[in-house]
Amino acid sequence: MKVLSRVLTLALVTLGLTIPCYAEKIVVEGSTTVLPIAQKAAEVFMNNNSGADISVRGGGSGVGIASLIDGTCDIGNSSRSIKDSELDKAVTNGRSPKANVIAMDGICVIVHPANSIGALTKKQIKDIYTGTISNWKQLGGPDEKIVVISRDSSSGTFEAFGALALDGSKVRSDALLQASNQAVASTVSRTPGAIGYVGLGYVSSSVKAVDVDAVKATKETVLSNKYPIGRPLFMYTNGEPKGLAKQFIDFILSSEGQKLVEEEGFVGLK
Amino acid sequence: MKKFLTAFVLGGFIALNLGMCFSYAGEIDLLLQKLVDKGVLTAGEAQQIGTETKEQVKSEIAKGKYSSLPEWVQNIKMKGDFRVRYQLDHAKADASAATNNTQDRNRGRVRLRLGWDTKVNDKIVVGAGIATGTTDVTSYDAARSNNQSFGNAFAKKPLVLDYAYAKYTPVPWASLMAGKMKYLPWRPTDVMIDNDITPEGGVLQLTKKFGKANLFLDNMVFVLSETEPATHNAMAYALQGGADYALTDTLSVKGAVSYYDFSNVKGRALDGSQGTNTKMLGTGNTVAGNTGTTGFNMYSFRDITPAVEFGIKNPFKAIANATSLGMLDIEKLSFFGECYQNLAAPDKNTGFAAGFGLGNEKVDDWGKWQFQYVYSMLEKDSILDTLPDSDRYTGKTGIRGHKGSFQFGLGKNTWLQFAVFRFENINMSLPTTRRAPTTVVQADWNMKF
Repeated sequence: MKVLSRVLTLALVTLGLTIPCYAEKIVVEGSTTVLPIAQKAAEVFMNNNSGADISVRGGGSGVGIASLIDGTCDIGNSSRSIKDSELDKAVTNGRSPKANVIAMDGICVIVHPANSIGALTKKQIKDIYTGTISNWKQLGGPDEKIVVISRDSSSGTFEAFGALALDGSKVRSDALLQASNQAVASTVSRTPGAIGYVGLGYVSSSVKAVDVDAVKATKETVLSNKYPIGRPLFMYTNGEPKGLAKQFIDFILSSEGQKLVEEEGFVGLK
Repeated sequence: MKKFLTAFVLGGFIALNLGMCFSYAGEIDLLLQKLVDKGVLTAGEAQQIGTETKEQVKSEIAKGKYSSLPEWVQNIKMKGDFRVRYQLDHAKADASAATNNTQDRNRGRVRLRLGWDTKVNDKIVVGAGIATGTTDVTSYDAARSNNQSFGNAFAKKPLVLDYAYAKYTPVPWASLMAGKMKYLPWRPTDVMIDNDITPEGGVLQLTKKFGKANLFLDNMVFVLSETEPATHNAMAYALQGGADYALTDTLSVKGAVSYYDFSNVKGRALDGSQGTNTKMLGTGNTVAGNTGTTGFNMYSFRDITPAVEFGIKNPFKAIANATSLGMLDIEKLSFFGECYQNLAAPDKNTGFAAGFGLGNEKVDDWGKWQFQYVYSMLEKDSILDTLPDSDRYTGKTGIRGHKGSFQFGLGKNTWLQFAVFRFENINMSLPTTRRAPTTVVQADWNMKF
């Protein structure tokens, strides 16, 4: 009896100290490509649900998936599929990443608006990024050195572009590496000889998106897989999403959420 | 419903053809395209279903779910370690001896530990471990050591059950563990409780993250000795509350306050006792006499133990950069300390440990190293004499001394360790030369797998 009363007392003290600490909050972290969707959706969702607290951070797809595996975020944003090595680590850590596709993105190859080149093949893009082609003249353009702009290696866009456009080949070592889609677009818009790649949402009048294998990047061509450098955008959760994480993902997949996706320049699934 | 059914059918399709699943990926896309063409799915829904199904299968393959073995077998994780030790025990004769004869003992020792755990379901893990050791409960080594010494004309050495427990985690911030556990409350040193002890009972662990701080609260109930009637069981009830806080990217602090209530140990002789707590001959309230190493505990034990550890990452980076001496850029420096007070004993009831560590965060590859120094003192009745680290004066109380250790990585998962312990008896009111100092030198070759 004495033992039982001590155990119960300690348990009650412990629970009493813990219960007031609970609040509904989730952390969303990862891909800078998915970031604008997550930020906008979180803003609208929290306006509609006053009790919800959604913290959104960037960092890159690798960071998002690593955080999900480590348990430091609830949703890991990624612009690429989870790697086998990451899955192995997740399994070792007792985690079970579940892919939730929330939108599609076309990776657009962009050049300066003054560049006369309007279309490239995947092979030509690969040759440019691996250093086989280094002057626009080799492609029928002006006699001007090609300034290659790429994303840094922590970016999901970098990973997806390398896999989809370069067949896994390495980007030439003298490429200028940028930390965000916006930085790539901005650099290309200021550099006449530049070529870069950004998500569909970052194409504006300050740059020119070239057709790839004679296919223009549009919602239809991306959804139908006709555009060769298209990709799904993911929100990974540990197992089936639950609680606030489920509500948030359901909101993004709703008509209202998909409208926000389109407003941010990505391809909605609806 | 339409999407669910489609995903279900596709999942089954892939699972049935798993051996060739990648060659079927194109056929799945064709199937989805047909559904889009017939207006069953939109292009977006087809993308979502197709991609999520492929990702799901990839994940299931990684988890080995398509193996013919039961899931709990696939979830088994095994681990182990093996250590070969040379140990020199250099001791002055016991303080009661007429002269200070020295006694040297040279020992070769081995320790093997094998453990495994498996997920019963998403919330319950069961773990167990066997190890070299002894079940002779009268030996102080029974709970506190897994070493087996070479000798006895090549006699086989016993393997014992080291631990066996279940852990239930209903929510990420709370878990309940029960059994003979591979668990000990956080301490910056093993002075008070030997790291080899696997306590028996239950623990409720609660954690909560507040910004850069991780709070933890452990609630423990352990059985020390079981007799009839049950109200006379010797028990340990303990509560530990603490926090781990990152002050900056390079500075961190971890601290905890613990309270241990050892119930029904007064008037009792516990297994594994080193006989250094104050004893009496009888079990009643009347003290019949102090026999030194035998008899029954004269006092209860209710210990309060605050502890703290400060960590500094790359403490000498600026000096290393200024002098271009890369070797000075040491990964981590830490300072730690803890103290103990037995509130149930009138005197000789305090103790403390303090020290520092230096080197790499982990010794997990060639050339990585760690050095640690700890000074500690335990008065006679500061803590129960069944618990302290057995390498320090064979786990007795009423001692003080130094421990220095150095680890050096030989390669992946293998390293050397050298340790020196210099301790002396502080129970006796004798000249320094009669305090029976001992020096223990250990050279270990460690492997883990």
